[in-house]
Amino acid sequence: MFGNGLIKGLRITWKEFTSKKFTVQYPEEQHTKPERFHGRFVFDADKCIACNLCANACPNNVIELKSEKVEKKKFLTKYVMNIEYCLFCGMCVEACNKDAINFSLEHDMSQYNYDAIPLILVEREAPKPEPKPEEATPEASGEKAEPKVKGKGKQKEETPAASADKSASDEVAAGKAPEKEGQ
Amino acid sequence: MLRTETYTMNFGPQHPATHGVFQVVLTLDGEKIVKAEPVCGYLHRGIEKLAESRTYQQVIPYTDRMDYLASMLQNWGYVMAVEKLMGLEVPERAEYLRVISGELSRLASHVLATGVYALDVGGFTGFLLCFRERERMMDLLEELTGSRMTFSYARFGGVADDAPEGWLEKLDKLMDDMPGYIDEYDGLITGNEIFQARTKQVGGLSPETAIDYSLSGPVLRGSGINYDLRKAKPYSIYDRFDFEVPVGKNGDCFDRYFCRVREMRQSVRIIKQAIEQIKEIDGPIKGKVPKALKPPKGDAYAEIESSKGILGFYVVSDGTNKPHRVHVRRPSFINLGYLDEMSRGWLIADLVAILGSIDIVLGEVDC
Repeated sequence: MFGNGLIKGLRITWKEFTSKKFTVQYPEEQHTKPERFHGRFVFDADKCIACNLCANACPNNVIELKSEKVEKKKFLTKYVMNIEYCLFCGMCVEACNKDAINFSLEHDMSQYNYDAIPLILVEREAPKPEPKPEEATPEASGEKAEPKVKGKGKQKEETPAASADKSASDEVAAGKAPEKEGQ
Repeated sequence: MLRTETYTMNFGPQHPATHGVFQVVLTLDGEKIVKAEPVCGYLHRGIEKLAESRTYQQVIPYTDRMDYLASMLQNWGYVMAVEKLMGLEVPERAEYLRVISGELSRLASHVLATGVYALDVGGFTGFLLCFRERERMMDLLEELTGSRMTFSYARFGGVADDAPEGWLEKLDKLMDDMPGYIDEYDGLITGNEIFQARTKQVGGLSPETAIDYSLSGPVLRGSGINYDLRKAKPYSIYDRFDFEVPVGKNGDCFDRYFCRVREMRQSVRIIKQAIEQIKEIDGPIKGKVPKALKPPKGDAYAEIESSKGILGFYVVSDGTNKPHRVHVRRPSFINLGYLDEMSRGWLIADLVAILGSIDIVLGEVDC
């Protein structure tokens, strides 16, 4: 009989009408993210040996890495990811032998201003061997830098995310980091 | 004497039924299509050229961006070509993970094609139901790879990561539910008389023409030609699975659509068998591959059956760590070539049904 298909389809629609809802009301409720989620990057400057493997593995030259030689060792002074070009493919995380760069579960990375997009993970000055040492920026999570920090002399946190709160009060040389790390 | 005159009209590039940024310049006689000239290139990013300035590994994320609805298969195709070039061995467990993830990706692509096709011809409910299942598949793939659409999962000589704890069980559960879901699509979309009136006997394609135009995938099989690379030239480990190749009869829009629905059932069968078999295989997921990849001079072509058709990668090496040339045989692009002749004589509304039945992805068409 013509119309059988329509009736059958309508039956399925009505069955769905009474079944459990699948929609998640986004900002209030959120899906749980899997462990391997490719979210915002977290960086551990203590583990990094500035070997440039991540920067070389990146297909889009997202990672800007600079280091200086301090007492025959490489000291990481800058680690900035131009996240607007990032494909979130995970090649850098895979390339890292020291487990210094990793994904976090944070997915909310939108910014109002273009300048705020680059993810400044480390930006600090290398400790000078003899004369008066320069003050490290709040992101100077390296312990090597810490003993030489004078002035405010605040204890710096390990992870960039945690340092964000402190850096908010730390108005000097905070750079663009607080806007980014705070949110 | 009354005389009609043809006029031209743009269909797209901003039109939801073109499945992306795709333009068809229509020459119309009233509402009848006299000529349909496809204009593509709005999404061209030059991926083939970009590949020449990247190392072999760095090309993998770019292949994701071609057919982003089944990117697992795109990764696989490229990786297979380079493996062929270098003569790399792939461990067995990795092969199984590739088959499982690839078939899941194919399933996700076909579910989307089915749902969007229902939407194209005016059935919104079918579209929503299909996306409900697609969501579950995306969640599983996200758990495996970390991304929802651009997976970059395949690696030379293996895969990026092993399946997480409990993942195979979850997948098994989805595969148990899947036939019930596909029955729902059949009830809601396939059996619907309005849908059938819109698609049956529309946009016919004869088997000879399909071969002449080198069409592939469900478009070719819808015309009644039994040619599926997984059966015809079994690559990877497809010879170990028991599955059928669904073919159509008339080569119309309905047959092309219905081929996809039946293919979904076969994908479910393959995944179920693979889950059974992978449980007994324990081993590495990545073969011995040097970190700095420098294939010897030469070239290689490898092809796989993607969700849209035969996907081929041609890689030329000049002995350095960057490919000299990468060329992709994109099934969407080649299947689109017959659009003009297929839609001649049909109405504008039928063009939407015809275009939807070819199931193109503009990321792949424009590359």
